[in-house]
Amino acid sequence: MDKSPSTSVRDAILGYGSLIVWAMCYLGALVLLRKFQLEGWVRVAVALLPIPPFVLFLSMVLAEIRSLDELWRRIHLEALAIAFPLAVLLLMILGLMELATGLSPNDWSYRHVWIFLPIFYAIGVLVSVRRYK
Amino acid sequence: MKNRLRVLRAERKWSQAEVAERLGVSRQTVNAVETEKYEPSITLAFKMARLFDTRIEDIFQSDDNSNPER
Repeated sequence: MDKSPSTSVRDAILGYGSLIVWAMCYLGALVLLRKFQLEGWVRVAVALLPIPPFVLFLSMVLAEIRSLDELWRRIHLEALAIAFPLAVLLLMILGLMELATGLSPNDWSYRHVWIFLPIFYAIGVLVSVRRYK
Repeated sequence: MKNRLRVLRAERKWSQAEVAERLGVSRQTVNAVETEKYEPSITLAFKMARLFDTRIEDIFQSDDNSNPER
């Protein structure tokens, strides 16, 4: 809450910058792994490419959460309390549907499911914000 | 828990944003406390008491009037 304007701008640039770099690394890794015949260890290195920018993004998110006041910290805590069970429910249902209907792992693999987790978190934030509005 | 934050703020003709800035919290937090949707931490309650130069119990009144020492 007590950040100077220059610190806020720097944090925003670092935060959004790391998010953009992470997204580019992720999409780049997807293209490289799908379109090119890479050697075994190179494939693993490319798959791990998004980790460093994501760690930077995560550290910026944590710093931002720590700078929030007590109500906003509670909102984010409640968002997690909503998002986590939804993620468990999604994975559980997908696992059961795979058994029940032969749901193809190619359609619902890790690379398709993870995108739902930030969506659940966003839903949690919206629900919690409405509660205190 | 009921509170007199809105009354105390109105007496001083302060906006929610002004109170929020003086307390070092967001305007949403001040609004949520005023509308009794959020009960502040003891730290924030002390800050509010200091800001309005009064006691915590003059700002916040418990719905439960029973005495816990009895």
